[in-house]
Amino acid sequence: MALVNLQNVTYKYPLTKTPALQNINLQIKEGEFVAVVGANGAGKSTLCYTLAGFAPHFFKGEMSGSIEVAGKESSKSTLDEWVLNVGLAFQNPFNQISGAKYTVFEEIAFGLENIGVPRDEMKDRVNDALALTGITDLADRSPYSLSGGQQQRVALTSILVMQPKLLVLDEPTSQMDPIGTREVFSVIRKMAEGGMTVVMVEHKMEWIAQFADRVIALKDGSILLEGKPGEVLTSDVLAENGFGISRYTSTAREAKKQGLWKKEKLPVTLDEAVEGFKK
Amino acid sequence: MKIEINDLRFTYPTGLEALQGISLTIEAGEQVAIVGQNGAGKTTLVRHFNGLLQPSSGSVLIGEWDTKKHSVAKLASRVGYVFQNPDEQLFSKDVGTEIRFGPRNLGYSKEKIDELVTRALSLTELSDKTDTNPYDLSPTWRKMAALASVIAMDTPIVIFDEPTTGQDAVNVARIANVIAELRKEGKTVITITHDIDFCAENFDRVIALSNGKILLDGSARDVLGQEEILAQTYVDPPQLTRLGKRLGLKETVRNQDEFLKALK
Amino acid sequence: MHERLSFHIKRDSVLHRLNPLTKLTLVLALIMVAFTSPWYWTPHLLFLFVIIPLSFIGKVFREFFFAATRLILPAAGFLFLMQAFFQPIGEHVIFKFYFLDITQESLMFAFKNAMRVIVMVSSFTLFLLTTHPSELMSDLTRRGLPGQFAYVIISTLQILPQIQSKSQTIISAQRSRGLDTEGNFFKRAGSLVPLVGPLVFGSLVEVEERAIAIEARGFTSKSIKTSLYEIADTSFEKIIRWGLIIIIILSIVLNIWL
Repeated sequence: MALVNLQNVTYKYPLTKTPALQNINLQIKEGEFVAVVGANGAGKSTLCYTLAGFAPHFFKGEMSGSIEVAGKESSKSTLDEWVLNVGLAFQNPFNQISGAKYTVFEEIAFGLENIGVPRDEMKDRVNDALALTGITDLADRSPYSLSGGQQQRVALTSILVMQPKLLVLDEPTSQMDPIGTREVFSVIRKMAEGGMTVVMVEHKMEWIAQFADRVIALKDGSILLEGKPGEVLTSDVLAENGFGISRYTSTAREAKKQGLWKKEKLPVTLDEAVEGFKK
Repeated sequence: MKIEINDLRFTYPTGLEALQGISLTIEAGEQVAIVGQNGAGKTTLVRHFNGLLQPSSGSVLIGEWDTKKHSVAKLASRVGYVFQNPDEQLFSKDVGTEIRFGPRNLGYSKEKIDELVTRALSLTELSDKTDTNPYDLSPTWRKMAALASVIAMDTPIVIFDEPTTGQDAVNVARIANVIAELRKEGKTVITITHDIDFCAENFDRVIALSNGKILLDGSARDVLGQEEILAQTYVDPPQLTRLGKRLGLKETVRNQDEFLKALK
Repeated sequence: MHERLSFHIKRDSVLHRLNPLTKLTLVLALIMVAFTSPWYWTPHLLFLFVIIPLSFIGKVFREFFFAATRLILPAAGFLFLMQAFFQPIGEHVIFKFYFLDITQESLMFAFKNAMRVIVMVSSFTLFLLTTHPSELMSDLTRRGLPGQFAYVIISTLQILPQIQSKSQTIISAQRSRGLDTEGNFFKRAGSLVPLVGPLVFGSLVEVEERAIAIEARGFTSKSIKTSLYEIADTSFEKIIRWGLIIIIILSIVLNIWL
């Protein structure tokens, strides 16, 4: 059974004329890693807020259709119940620091304190989460003294430690260095393999192609394309609509015109590109 | 205008040694990208270029000016600096006024200011948004407004701190276009970036920093091919460079044209 | 780059290990006794024979001394002078300064009041030096202080350095655009606009995003909150607290009685 089930979801923020999401239908299986791509303003963040319950519970506005996560219906739940199943981390890491804690360790424990996890279990979970995202050495630092990329890892760890059924991430690696980004993608992949369902908004096509199970391309609040990364990310429709595409795809497309790419299907990952260009 | 940095060291009051002896020269009109892992000292380094930070030891020369002897406001006539977050910069009631702020501070004539503002607006494709309040712009356009407000100062050196962070493909292309225009005008462009493909496609010279030291400094082709050394500072070579390596191409390729040419 | 957001000095001492509420009661007792005790020399003796020794027991004498000489003594000295000069009591004039008489009585009065203030501020300083704010809040929350209330207090304690560093970044951004922040008053006042705008806008965004971030981490969850820190509290400490409360009451009663 699908963990996430959106039926005809349309949402309009207060004081706006056009809906930010229009007639979204989406089912996501448990343990699936779904990447969401699209231009700025396409509705990616709104989709995240909808899944995480903040639209409409926090932002108000007009929501229609049905939003179901882990068998619960959003309109029949309160936000504080909803967040027990769905975790959210977003782009600006500075504003995600609780402001009530003095060290990274305490910061990550914050959510567990709120939901009443016993102390011993709490410490174990925080230590495990720190090790998982590779920030054990930051445990005693003040969250405010960290660089943007490090703060993003703290924000991600703070939500991972809550062990949500559905993890929603809105550009969680935007300020990270390249290898750091790849590491985070592989951590998230591992979480998905362990059964956590992940929805992640990102611009970094190479890693989406390599790590995600499915890609959803949003345009003007609607789903334009949806499917396996290899299909969606190589689609001409994406290129024509100004989406970001990996260099492997764009270069192979050009090479195809010049007769240098012989295969029918365009590559999205390094391995596929190597395979196709090999003489 | 030449930038000369001599054995620059900088220690934060917390005791963190952010820069540990940096020496480099950037000639007028160079396009330089600075890459490196989080906390490598990239921002700390460029904040020395316009005097926002003062060396603990060593020196920074912008043209013949020592940054120790000139105020930031004065250095602003030579070095423009676009901060990472436009929200920390924009304050005016409309985009036009916002962009006039910098050139007005530099004391240019009204005619010159008008000309510079018009050019900056068209370069950043903001011409139809002159009367919009910057806070009503989408984050994408706020970023462009921040870019325009510094470009309009017409400084010989322009610094961008992470210009492409959180931007979609269309806007990244727009920013690349701005940099290309600045190059044509003979300006020095220095950009901090984690977007290594963007770096490969738009910059001639790449400096890789690691733990406050220069790890690599050279032409983009030389630097971006050094996979093992770059890994020390958490940087991967560009996608096409890695592809070229895997295919066993003799030379290091950086972009589509070079790749296709090498393949033939 | 501010690693330190509180006064707290991490050391291992008896004072550090005391329950925050015990320390808070001790501070209260010191202050109340200093202010209500009918005996003249009480605040002086409390400072010399209780507070200073406590700073040694708490292994924070150096930091305490630093705070005392830089902050507490100058403030108390100022108070002393004001009261010595302007308190129109007593007949034994020791010193005349234009129309102001300094009498033995006003001098004594000023000395006692200054000492009272020293006791108040220095005992509080000692408390802050040896108590981690998180521990204090966890302990008070455990005793029934609403979680939201504790959050407001503690995030307010942290807000100043944050605003400071944010202002610094904004000023840097505007100086990079040629804004001259040095020079005469009008120039400085003029440079406030480009600072305040982004600061206010940034704060509005921040408040909303932070609300989302803490809500996403179960901030308003109805379950009973737990705490990362185990805050020790012994029955011995409970007795100490009751003892201190009795002392406070005694001191007040004596004050009224005599």
